[in-house]
Amino acid sequence: MSKGLQETLFGAAARLTPILICLALWQAVTSLHVADPEFLPSVGAVLEAFYDLAKEKTIFVELGVSLLTAGAGLVSGILIGVPLGAVMALSKGADGFFGPLIKATYSLPKSALIPLFVLWFGVGGITNVLATVLTTLLPIVIYTYHGVQGVPRVFVWSAQAMGTPPATLLRRIILPAALPAILTGVRIALGFAFIVTIAAEMIVSNHGIGKLIFLYGDSGAYNYMFAAVITIVSTAFVADWLLQLATAHILRWQDKAEQHA
Amino acid sequence: MREVAHRIAPAMGRAFVAVYPLVLVIVVWEAVARAGLIRPLFLPPFSLVVKQLFAVVSNGELFPPLATSLYRTAAGLLIAGVVGIPVGFLMVRSRLVSWFFEPLVALGNPAPKLALIPVFTLWFGIDNVSKIMLVALTTVFPFILSAAQGARSVPISQVWAARAMGSTEFVILGRVVLPASMPALMSGLRVAVPTALLTTFTAEMVAGGGLGGALVLAQRYFESTTVYAYLLVMLLCGYILDVELLRIRHRVLRWHEG
Repeated sequence: MSKGLQETLFGAAARLTPILICLALWQAVTSLHVADPEFLPSVGAVLEAFYDLAKEKTIFVELGVSLLTAGAGLVSGILIGVPLGAVMALSKGADGFFGPLIKATYSLPKSALIPLFVLWFGVGGITNVLATVLTTLLPIVIYTYHGVQGVPRVFVWSAQAMGTPPATLLRRIILPAALPAILTGVRIALGFAFIVTIAAEMIVSNHGIGKLIFLYGDSGAYNYMFAAVITIVSTAFVADWLLQLATAHILRWQDKAEQHA
Repeated sequence: MREVAHRIAPAMGRAFVAVYPLVLVIVVWEAVARAGLIRPLFLPPFSLVVKQLFAVVSNGELFPPLATSLYRTAAGLLIAGVVGIPVGFLMVRSRLVSWFFEPLVALGNPAPKLALIPVFTLWFGIDNVSKIMLVALTTVFPFILSAAQGARSVPISQVWAARAMGSTEFVILGRVVLPASMPALMSGLRVAVPTALLTTFTAEMVAGGGLGGALVLAQRYFESTTVYAYLLVMLLCGYILDVELLRIRHRVLRWHEG
């Protein structure tokens, strides 16, 4: 048991070392005055700025706004995207109608819609959430579509042969079988949600961590800018990690099935 | 003559079925705008948008910013490919490289790198270089991941065979690993290209210049038809690049799929 723990700790240390090396390089470059501290503030200066921001709670308020926008966008994307993808996979008519529309909008860089939404809905709020919804929608629809299409026919036939009504078939057979694909789509959508939220906040907004980064960059408070960048990057990393943990928990039956096979 | 008609009619039918939702959306758009249900500031008629598109093409307003954006996208992709593909290969071939880069990729890949736009503007200036470097940073990860995936798919017996015939590690990478990784690399490119366009346009919307900057300017002057025309151009850029990539993929991988 303690040997297993030791190995886990050793593995974590081995994984952390390259990141620490990069941090040490950063500190070395700044303290040896290779880089202008105006261009690259030292690790210490950034930590100080982070402490300031945490003390005044600004960073948490703005981070909260960004998380709320990204979260609202992602949840709406799932609520719209999963049913839409499933309907497209199950109905030829829906596929024929939505398929070309999705293909046509797939290649549009979604952040380009932000100026348009500003025209429609004004600065911030709905504009940012809507841009996030549209961005997260597409990967979820596409992965749900392929997931539902990939459900083995035999599952569906056996359930039907046992007299399963369509609603139960969808809930008990099709959605669980498509779940791994749907969750892959959700993970991609999560990354997009953060990107578009920050992009929207930087392009036009009064709140959010993107706005904070932009303001500090504009006013030359670079150690504060770096502190804000590091905050959002680590938040996104933790969110991705939590989603992976949740995915592993939700799909724990799948691993077991594979072990038995 | 009748035979030709017989052959053309179903093809035209299929083509119509493939695009009818788009036609429907455009017709509804035009009707709603013409009927005055939505103010033209918010939704100008589609026909006026197309007219404006032709206007910016013929008066030459479109091409300088479009060329700037495409240049930044292409240059960033090139740097990302030149750096990312070897790193991805070496991560599979060398344990040291893998030990060093694997945690960095795990940290960097999901990170919202657009947050670095002001940082890159500070480091590399407001013009081309900052945008190119940002595109390189956002697209290097799909290149690394797809190259690593491709390199892992190489049967170890092929590497042994090459080594037994006296190939150096460098030759193995170029002549065995690279060709075998082409399918994975093409998939990576299909992720990297839209990401590159998104990065370029967004960075331009924040820091100015290029098509992204032109779009934001048009919105600030409330020139709605121009906003929609530029959006149409961006959509077409993404679409054409994706179609071309699929075509190239088909050509490059003929030996693979055939």
